[in-house]
Amino acid sequence: MNQLSPLGELLLDEYREYRPQLELLAEKVYNMLTTTFREQGIQLNAIEYRVKAEESLVGKIVRKGDKYKSLDSITDLVGLRIITFYSDDVDKVAAIVQQLFDIDWDNSVDKRKLHDPNSFGYSSLHYICRLKTGGIRFEIQMRTALQHVWSAIEHDIGYKGFVTLPPEYRRQFSRLAGMLELADDEFSRLRTTMTDYRRQIQALVKSGRLDEVPLSNDSFDSYLKTHPFDRLNKRIAAVNQAEIFPAAMTSFLPVLIHFNFETLGDIERFINENFDNAYQLALAQLAVTDIDILSESVGLQNLCLAYALKKGGDEKELHFIFDTINGHQDANDFLIENIKKLAENIALS
Amino acid sequence: MKTTIQEQNDCMVALFEGRLDTAAASQTEQDMKPLHNSEKDVILDCTNLEYISSSGLRLFLGVLKSSKPKGLHVFITGLNADLQNVFAMTGFSNLFEFK
Repeated sequence: MNQLSPLGELLLDEYREYRPQLELLAEKVYNMLTTTFREQGIQLNAIEYRVKAEESLVGKIVRKGDKYKSLDSITDLVGLRIITFYSDDVDKVAAIVQQLFDIDWDNSVDKRKLHDPNSFGYSSLHYICRLKTGGIRFEIQMRTALQHVWSAIEHDIGYKGFVTLPPEYRRQFSRLAGMLELADDEFSRLRTTMTDYRRQIQALVKSGRLDEVPLSNDSFDSYLKTHPFDRLNKRIAAVNQAEIFPAAMTSFLPVLIHFNFETLGDIERFINENFDNAYQLALAQLAVTDIDILSESVGLQNLCLAYALKKGGDEKELHFIFDTINGHQDANDFLIENIKKLAENIALS
Repeated sequence: MKTTIQEQNDCMVALFEGRLDTAAASQTEQDMKPLHNSEKDVILDCTNLEYISSSGLRLFLGVLKSSKPKGLHVFITGLNADLQNVFAMTGFSNLFEFK
């Protein structure tokens, strides 16, 4: 049972009539946002939308008395929430929202700036928007994942006020809020640092100063962009005029680290010193077949095998290679036996 | 060459029987079409597959190409020793997941 005033009843009737349009509006705004974020390459933690449920609306009208004179005066009938990974991205997302929609600045609020230094809380940015073509207003909340966590826990605890909480609990809240805010800033800072590091690595790879580049996921990725295995792959492919199928090669990194390679310079030398042996090994396998399609990883795979075989073909070493690139499987025993037999017929130098 | 597609609870299973050579590839490609529209993980059951040519490998890669962008997995199972060797020497062992 609700205790709606006659005006409240009118608003509720209007809401019921407009509900399908509200659903369409929510979906439209959601699609506009997701398309734009995708085009701009912005990675989000989540984006969600909802139309205010009838019970929730009734509760709001009852709570606020006759504050609302028309349906348009209720600004959160359609609500969207954009959750970013990084605090920097909240501003970026907000800028995009400003471009896409008309913002009702009088009713929009940056709750992040509202905090009294002595208060606690950890809030988000709320915009009241309208489509540029007009229509009913809607609310977009923008926050980081950590702000979202704060909000969810705050909601779960059931505390939203300020006065009722004893000082010791207020202090606990403040400490947590501060910690999350600090964590958000640190994550943003870390992202910037990592981006700078990647750029630096890319520049070193580009300039050929490979001995200065430590071997890591990032540096190996940058190195792969220079196609270091192409020459060997092409030579192997020429055996059967094979087509080369693109493949990710990052899964070989643990093998290269296992070989104690420390820099990209080590990898470059590894390629040059084992090029002929790797080719001979691939040739021995492929020449007796008519296979004319190969994975892009074929060159690197044969380099790793040739390197291990040259060092004596230790069973453990070969197992490590096959287990890493194929996954641990019984068949690896047979493949190792096979490759060792082949190697006996090739003079690895 | 016989190809049977079965829809199981959480995956699509293709059972291959015989020699997947160039001559059989065209029919097998037709038979494998349901795998490309699938929204489930795919298992390529090669327990009764005796031989695979480059054309056959291309068909397997085709399944991988249509499944990966959807976040689906393609598993290969039951490869005999010769086929394991083919997958290893071409570098394709690194592309598929094996069960």
